[in-house]
Parts: sequence; C-alpha cells; structure tokens
Amino acid sequence: MNFLRQLSALLRMNLLGLPQRLGLVCTTVIGVTCAVGVLVSMLAMGVGARRQAMGNVRPDRVTLLSVGALGPGQSSIARNMAVLIQDLPGIRRNAKGEPIVVPQASVFMTARRKASGTPVGFPIVGSGMELGDYTPELVLTSGRMFRPGLRELIASNYCAQQYQQFGVGDTRTIQGRDWRVVGNFDLGHTGGTCVVYADADTVLSAFGRDSYNQVNVMLQSPAAFTRLVDAIRANPVLRVEARHEADLVAQDMQQVNGILNFVSYFIGTILALAATIGAANSLYAVVDSRRRELATLRAVGFNGLPIVVSILCEAIILALPGALIGAGLAWLFFNGRAASPFGTQFHLVVTSSLTLLGVAWALCMGLIGGLMPAVRAARVPVTVALRAT
Amino acid sequence: MKYLPLIWSGIWRKPGRTMLILLQIAVAFGLFGVLQGMKTGMAEAVAKVRADLLFVAPSAVGATPLPLADLQQLQSIRGVKAVTYAGDLGGTYQKPTQPVGVLAIETSDLWLTLVPDIFTVSPQALAALRSTRTGALITADIGRKYGWHIGERIALTTSTLQSNGSGTWFFDIVGMVTDHEPGESGLIVTSYSYLDAARALDKGTVRNFYVIVSDPKQAASIGETIDRTFANSPSGTRTTSLRENAQQAMQSIGDLNFAIRSIIGAVLVAIVFSTATMMMQTMRERAPELAVLKTVGFGNPAVFLLVATEALLVCVVASLAGLALAWIAFPLAGKYIPGLSMPVQVVVLGIVGAVLVALLSVTLPGLRAARLNVIDALAGR
Repeated sequence: MNFLRQLSALLRMNLLGLPQRLGLVCTTVIGVTCAVGVLVSMLAMGVGARRQAMGNVRPDRVTLLSVGALGPGQSSIARNMAVLIQDLPGIRRNAKGEPIVVPQASVFMTARRKASGTPVGFPIVGSGMELGDYTPELVLTSGRMFRPGLRELIASNYCAQQYQQFGVGDTRTIQGRDWRVVGNFDLGHTGGTCVVYADADTVLSAFGRDSYNQVNVMLQSPAAFTRLVDAIRANPVLRVEARHEADLVAQDMQQVNGILNFVSYFIGTILALAATIGAANSLYAVVDSRRRELATLRAVGFNGLPIVVSILCEAIILALPGALIGAGLAWLFFNGRAASPFGTQFHLVVTSSLTLLGVAWALCMGLIGGLMPAVRAARVPVTVALRAT
Repeated sequence: MKYLPLIWSGIWRKPGRTMLILLQIAVAFGLFGVLQGMKTGMAEAVAKVRADLLFVAPSAVGATPLPLADLQQLQSIRGVKAVTYAGDLGGTYQKPTQPVGVLAIETSDLWLTLVPDIFTVSPQALAALRSTRTGALITADIGRKYGWHIGERIALTTSTLQSNGSGTWFFDIVGMVTDHEPGESGLIVTSYSYLDAARALDKGTVRNFYVIVSDPKQAASIGETIDRTFANSPSGTRTTSLRENAQQAMQSIGDLNFAIRSIIGAVLVAIVFSTATMMMQTMRERAPELAVLKTVGFGNPAVFLLVATEALLVCVVASLAGLALAWIAFPLAGKYIPGLSMPVQVVVLGIVGAVLVALLSVTLPGLRAARLNVIDALAGR
C-alpha cells in the first residue's frame, strides 16, 4: 500500500514536471516515433504483398504438380495424364456438366514498359477452357475470352496500363507468329501483376512442348480434398501430388517475405537501438538535474523501488505517444501507397496488429532506456546529493 | 591548437553522456553506411560487369531449348568474336527439398575469363573437367552444405532421363569453382559433352549461348541482329547484354530508393533533435563555466567556436566509427543483400552528414552560450 502511495505521488510529480523539460521529453518521443514509424512502414510492405497474394485464395482450389516438384516451374504433367485427372472424384462440375479441370502451361517472355521502354518479364499462361469457372474473380473489362485453337491472348489490365502492346486489338509476335490480344481483364486483389492467358494447347504447340506445368482443379467442397488425394494415391499411373492453392502461394511468398522481414527488422532494430540510447541519455539528464530533489525525497522517507518504478513509468509514458505517432505517420504517409520493389505492384497496408507491434517495440525501448537512469536515481547518495551545488 | 585541452575537457565533462551520444550517432551512421553502401555498391557492380558479353536465351522461359546447330550461324554474324554455350539440368540431392542446379558448360578456355566477377574457375579445374567424362566442379558453399569433397561420387535425382531410362545422374567431383552469384549456393558445374551424350531427350540443344563481341559499343546492335536472325525459326532467341541484365536487376531493387531516402531522413532528423537537446542541457549545466570563460576574456564568437568544435569533433568521430561498424557488418549482410561496398564517396557523404548534424544541432545551444549574460550565469540565475 505504502509502495503504491509513494509511486502515485512520485508519478504525479514526474508528470507535472514534464512541461519544464520539454526538450528532453521530445528527444525520447521523436526518437521512438522515428524508430516505430520506420519499422511499421517497412513491415507494412510485407503485409501488403502478402495480402495481395492471398487475396483471391480459395480453400476449394487445388493444384496438381508432378511428384517431387517444389513448384510449377519444376513440374511437368503429360497431356494424357491431364485427361485421367478429369475422372478423379470430388471435382466440381460447371453449368455444362463438365468437371472444372484446368491444365496450365506457363512460359515467361519479355515486354517493354510504356514509361521507360525497359524490358520486363511477364508470364503467358496457356490454360484450359474452364479457366472462367476456376477463377470467377477474373472479370473481362473489355473484349472477349480467347478461343481454343487460335493464337489469341487476354491480358490483365495491369499489363495494358503499364506495358506496351497489350490493349485489345494489339498484335504481338511470339515464336515468329502473330498473336492477337482479344481481351483485358481484372483479377480482383491481384490487380498489381501482369498475367496473360491463352489457350493451353496452342501455347504447347507454339513452344514445342508436350506437357503442362500444372493441372488446377476445383473441389466440390474443401472437404473433398482427402477424397481426391486418396484417389490419386490409389492410381499408380498418376504421378502427381495435390497441393492447396494457399499452400503454393504461401511458398511463393516465403522468399520475398523473408527478405522483407529481414530488412525490416534489421533496420528497425538499429533504429530502435539509437532511440533507446537517446531515451537513456535524456533520462540520465533528467535524473541529473533532479539529483537534489530525489535526494530530498529519499531523505523524507521515500524508498528506492518506487523511485525506480516511477522513472520507468515515465520512460514508458514518453515512449507510448512516440509509438502511436510513429504508427500514425506510417499510416498517413504509406497506407495504400503503391510499391513495386520486386516487379509486382502492391499496396502497403498498416494494420492494427502492426500498430500493436510498434507499441510493444516502443515499450521495450522505454523499459531498456529507462532502466539504468532509474537505478541511478534510486542510488543517489543522499548526503552527497544534498550538499552538491 | 592551444585550445585543444579546453575542448577535450569540455567533451569529457560528463563521460557517460558523451559516450551515449557517441554511441547513438555511431549506430545511426552505421545504418546510413549500410543503406548507402547498398545503393552505391549496386551501381559499382553494374559498372564492373563486362560490356562485350551477350547472353542468348530462348525467347521464352519454359520454351524448347536452342539447337546447338545455331552455333555456326552465331559465329558468322559480323562483329562476333567468340561463342560458347551451356546446358543445364535441375536435380535434387537425397531429399526433394535439397535442390542442386547443374550447369553443363562447353569446356573451352573461354570459361576461364567469361564472367570473372561471378564465375571463376582455375585452369587446373577446367582441365580436370575435360579429362573426366562424369567430372563435376563444386562451389565451396555446396561442398560445406552436403559434406562433399574432391574425389567423391555423388548422385542427383532429376526429371531428365538418361538414354538408359534412369533419372539418376552420377558425378565425380574433380575440382572447385567459385560462384559469387548470391543465393546460387546450390550449383555444380559439369561438362556439356557428358550431359548431351547421356540424356535421352533434347539431344543437341543448349540452354544458353554466350557471345563475345569485338566492340562493346556494338553489343546492343549485334544483340538485335541475333534476335532478328532467329525470329522466324521455331526457337526464337532473346539476347541481352550482361550489363543490361545487371541494370535490370538493380532497377527492381532501385524502386526501394525512396524507402532508403525516407529512412535516412528519419534517422538524421532524430539524431539532430537528440544531439541538439542534449547540448541544450549541457549548455544549461555549463552556464557558470562558460561565464567564467567570458570573464577571463573569451569573446562571444570564441565561445561559439569552442562549443561548435566540440560538437563537430564528437559527430565526426562517431560517424566514422559508425561507418567502420557498417563496413565490418558488410560480410554478414552480404548474404542477404548483393553488392555491398563502401566506396570513398559514401565515407565523404557520411562525414558531410555528420558535419551537417553537428552544425544544425549546435546552432541554437551555441548561440545561447555565446549570448550568455555573465552576471546572471555566475549568479546561477
């Protein structure tokens, strides 16, 4: 009880004294603001990239890859195997009564940016005709769907806006032949990437290939996954593995997110270190300037512990607004801002959990920065301090 | 010069405080060094890349490989000095989660100097590769990772079938190769003749041609000529100069420039504010001492200079320490971020930044110290 009373008295004194040492107060606040602001903005990049990639993911979509393949790039599924996949159980049927099975073969080519003319890579995904049933988020905004057997392309709006020669009616030379762009589409959340679709078998023959990279299937329900897997295992001819869409996307994101997180925490930690040192220094100065005051308090019976805790509390109280201002500035300047560090464009997202992380980060800075000055304050030798000028 | 002891004692008036300021500035400039070093490091790396080397790949990734027969046509193009080529093979070692890339090179002496910054091989290793049919060179990284050493025979599981129907390829390790491409630690090098003789499909094809031109200035136009030559064949090509590739890679990271500038800005603002307030505090505490200085004859400008020199000394020394710290940290960060280096201009920029920080933060406290009223200060008011 006595501890609490002493603490509340000390805290009130500390807080009332804040306006008199505005400069020192601001040192802590601004240091923490910068550290938290930078950390939150950088992490917002990772969150934005992830949110964009995961935005369209559905639990009833499954991708089949050849056994042992880490991703679609290393996978190869022969044409005749794709036919067998159509008979597997658990696959949803479309309005026409056909199973929603979409074999896809991807090739990567280069386009030129409209703005600078510099080359940039984009994928052409040769896809089965059930593409529309498999990806209902694909909405044609102009033109029409490609037709089977013809050299026709549809390109996402991002390609049409950013790169040359992707508008409806444009022709592109691919493997020595002319291909026509017949449609532009929007892809919901993944709007910031350039994807081009064409007929699967036309792409295979144009590029001299005889196997797909992957076969996508849509399940009757997410629970049908086990039935599908059991049926694949029961058929030794089918050398494929079923992977959830979310699984593959997360694997794709892992590397980019790994780099982003490493850089964010690396820079965030260094800035936090600088801010902590700054806070410690300013609190030392506060303790120094209050030596006589603190000694007087000790002389009239205040204990060491409440003094330590009161200074730690002050450090935290100063760090908290820093964290909130930092996160707020990050939100104000960067939330929704487009970034494209790795070729695909996405929007930064400052979430409440990032803000909480920033606050936790700030609390650590306050606690670590306040600890040594607080201990020093409690240890002031009463007689020496009182005699000092 | 004779005021040096005075400045020195001013700096170490409160050793704890000075140490913390030094530390804080050092940390901030350490970060500055890493970020700025990343930027200039990449620009330097691009400038160092060979300008006379063209890289010929299939026009689309995932398309059929290029026929080796294109070689004669490439060699006959005007301005082409030499051509070499490589195939590749993707496999895994023991577990599907341990991918190993195999680069199958045509083993001519061109490879000794082909891409010196990225790929270096000794004449002995290359000779060993020529004399052993199933020979392979490994990087030190991959050797450490899987415990491989010279003389060992390793088996890789691949999806490329051999003529005997097996997808398992054996390699005898005969030497070492240095590969500086970051992230490419899972690479071994074998001879093209082994790959092409043993594989069942895609015989007589290559993944890439490497074309060296006589005049680097002609590189771009020769690249266009090559692509035009093969444009109407079933296997179109896409030719890029190695330097163009490097520039592209840099550009994708260059989009982060804005972020780097913002961070450096935030750091400098925080540091200026922090040092300025600490100096204000110090000046307040030192008011009586400064008043004594004035009493014994120091003019206002002299007091200001004294205080400013202290700040400059602290900031510059701390920033140099920070840059040294960054330089020490480079090998560590180099694993994640390519092309880190600290050219002179970064150091100069750092010192200029430090001087700026010192001047900005000393102006207000310094002026206040210079304008100090002697009588008030001595009276402790």
